[in-house]
Amino acid sequence: MASSSVTLSLCSAFSTHCNVTSRRSSVILSSLSKPSLNLTKPVSGFLSPSTASTSRPAFPVAPKFAESVLEAEQETTDVEATVVSDVAEDKPKREEIFAVVMVGGRQYIVFPGRYLYTQRLKDASVNDQIVLNKVLLVGTKTHTYIGKPVVTNATVHAVVENQGLNDKVVVFKYKPKKKYRRNIGHRQPNTRIKITGITGYEEYPASPNVPV
Amino acid sequence: KKGGVTVRASNERENRGEEEERRKMNKKKIFSLAKGFRGRAKNCIRIARERVEKALQYSYRDRRNKKREMRGLWIERINAGSRQHGVNYGNFIHGLSKENVQLNRKVLSELSMHEPYSFKALVDVSRKSFPGNKNVVQAPRKVDISSINA
Repeated sequence: MASSSVTLSLCSAFSTHCNVTSRRSSVILSSLSKPSLNLTKPVSGFLSPSTASTSRPAFPVAPKFAESVLEAEQETTDVEATVVSDVAEDKPKREEIFAVVMVGGRQYIVFPGRYLYTQRLKDASVNDQIVLNKVLLVGTKTHTYIGKPVVTNATVHAVVENQGLNDKVVVFKYKPKKKYRRNIGHRQPNTRIKITGITGYEEYPASPNVPV
Repeated sequence: KKGGVTVRASNERENRGEEEERRKMNKKKIFSLAKGFRGRAKNCIRIARERVEKALQYSYRDRRNKKREMRGLWIERINAGSRQHGVNYGNFIHGLSKENVQLNRKVLSELSMHEPYSFKALVDVSRKSFPGNKNVVQAPRKVDISSINA
């Protein structure tokens, strides 16, 4: 599938992006004509204009932007860049993918490796593998799979971490001059689940990510 | 009997101590809820009690209001995000519902902020299914005037 090959190239590009330090930045500045270029620092937004250059080589604006940023970084932080890259290399790389999932009547944006709190899942115990089927949208670096209403065969795998209670909420009801007051505390039960992976979306018709 | 009387007296004193402690505990709770209140409402129990009761009533009411306010905020954000692509909020939502996309406004507003590519894909889906967007006015681009010498 074309999308899988593109993602493979992205993964390989990502493994090298951590190695882009001040030592090599001189080499990379010379070879800026190549469209497959990544920034040294991980970008704050999930998908940024520069990363689009890896998927669409015909896009001219991104390499210029990357060039200016690299020059600035080389001037200011030479030593820090090496330290940052070493630390970044040790961290395991997360899949660059997100999904919108419906659990317990509520919709959440979900990333693999992160946890979230949902309404209490009654029949689940700790360390249970859970499969969430109501996936409304899946977004990767190159494509967005918009479900109508659900992305067919897409599943989100998760592990139940903890079944606990929310923070206490004081429900205080009071009517003045009528001697009516009720003081009740309430803790809503919740479940903490950790997302392990998002699969099964590849066969669905996808809309490619066009740079804004 | 004497022993009984003394025992009762000591019990009463103990009970009084417990009741005093209970009253103090209630005051403690009220003062802990009254942190940050203005003027004497954080220090004097009579005023603090009133203000804390009012505060708890407001929090009950506002837990319901928060849901309304958040929805309005999400709608504002979706409106802004879709107008950047030339589609206003009403037509955007109409197009999405025609296509049976059931993302709620909370998720749509987060996508419009953090996932611009996916949001643009959604706007395209909506525009394709409901193309009634000819009257959308684009916000005027701000021109940088700092370079002009006064």
